[in-house]
Amino acid sequence: MNHDMTEAITSSESSPGSAQAPTSATKTPGRWLRVVLASIAVLAVLLLGAALGMSLQLVGGAPAQPEGGTVDVGFAQDMSVHHRQAVQMAALARDRSTDPAIRSIAFDIETNQLQQIGQMQGWLSLWNAAALPTGRYMTWMTDAESMPGMAGMGHNGGSSGVAGVTTMPGMASPADLEQLRAANGAQFDVLFLQLMLRHHQGGVPMARYAEQHGEIPQVRNLAEKIVTSQSAESDYMIQLITQRGAQPLPPPR
Amino acid sequence: MPSGKSSKTVRNARPVVTATKPKPWGTIAAVVAIAVFAVAVFGYMFTRYEDRRAFTPTASTKDPSTQIPGIVIQDYGTGRGHIGPDKRVAYDHSPPFGGPHDGTWAACNGVVYATPVRNENMVHALEHGAVWIAYNPDKITGAALQSLRDRVQGANYLMLSPYPGLDMPISLQSWGHQLKMTDPADKRIDHFIQALRLNQYTYPEIGASCDVLSGLFDPAKPPPFVAAPPGPDAVPLTFSGGRGASPGDETAPAAPGGTQPAPNPPPGG
Repeated sequence: MNHDMTEAITSSESSPGSAQAPTSATKTPGRWLRVVLASIAVLAVLLLGAALGMSLQLVGGAPAQPEGGTVDVGFAQDMSVHHRQAVQMAALARDRSTDPAIRSIAFDIETNQLQQIGQMQGWLSLWNAAALPTGRYMTWMTDAESMPGMAGMGHNGGSSGVAGVTTMPGMASPADLEQLRAANGAQFDVLFLQLMLRHHQGGVPMARYAEQHGEIPQVRNLAEKIVTSQSAESDYMIQLITQRGAQPLPPPR
Repeated sequence: MPSGKSSKTVRNARPVVTATKPKPWGTIAAVVAIAVFAVAVFGYMFTRYEDRRAFTPTASTKDPSTQIPGIVIQDYGTGRGHIGPDKRVAYDHSPPFGGPHDGTWAACNGVVYATPVRNENMVHALEHGAVWIAYNPDKITGAALQSLRDRVQGANYLMLSPYPGLDMPISLQSWGHQLKMTDPADKRIDHFIQALRLNQYTYPEIGASCDVLSGLFDPAKPPPFVAAPPGPDAVPLTFSGGRGASPGDETAPAAPGGTQPAPNPPPGG
């Protein structure tokens, strides 16, 4: 075999210099074979390289993810806080109410918002950002003037950004929660629906802002799904409230 | 460039060499063996990689199910209102895969239903990101049924139920998506599940649970499937709830006959 190789190489080295027709005719088979073998070998190396690349990706070598921007981080932090109060009220209703319709929507809200908190907390961890906001809420909504329900917020912060708020829109006050814990029966059901509806109405504009201004596609997607899902749940809660002969609370300003 | 003398030597020697030496079979065999090995490894990885990559939702390919031959996709928009246990929805597909639904969802964490389940509860489970595998109990039996059971039993966000009168042996549903087929070994089942189960871009209610509260829904005794078509009082597909809407729970004050929910904007966007 070594002999064969040597022969092939030697003959190929000489071939460029050989211009005579009979000579090239006798050499063509060896050259042809060499070219084919070399091509196959190169192809094999390329295929193995591609396979290795794919296997690395399958094993989980995902490309590095970008870190969230101001809006992504602020939304994930603030909405975690906003969601936690909904989870708290929903868990209370899931335990306390005897009405199947109330228990169903309460359990639904409790579980989906808890899962969403998990997603947002996971992002914050990957972004090396704090799990919770420090200082005021909604400082990331720098262009909130245009948002329905957010008018007036920008006045404190001027054009460079809002100064934030100490309480997010729709949040139940300690007195509201005290009243809910003390309520019973149909009165409890209605109060829960009223507080949760107002809570949704306050959270939706925050999510809509993140949907429009977030940088990370997955963050914008979650924000969009929060807008549509909570709007649908709000419609259902309005329906349940009016069926119980009550009225929604005034929406958050 | 080698000297002409050296070339001449080789040229002169050449006929003798080719005559006495056969083709370099050893080299040929080695290269061919390596090539065959490389093609096999590449083919294996490519199949695995393509299956995984092609049907995994990403920010750039939000709905990979569009590549599945035979898939039916429909946008149900805001028609996601909740109804009570004594109401029905005028669904546009059988089995349904989107639209208004019961306030309580069917348990969908790897549940194999022995009996057909009420559509209105199953559709709510689709809203939560589950994939529902329905089968015609006259067509899928024995080993075929067992293979579907094995696939679903205990798997998260999958449920299996018989669907009497189904026009194909098997039908897969996810929110806004349907795929019908005959063979329980069809590769498209894997593709459908991979593309759509808990696809954050296609199911409406991110993070919603497939577990149920005891007392609200019993997987061992689910509300039964109703074969008869819904009557004229069925809730329309556009129903989205809201003030003055009538199809609520049974505790609602009796509404005057023929009350229709307020018209909603058509699904879209």
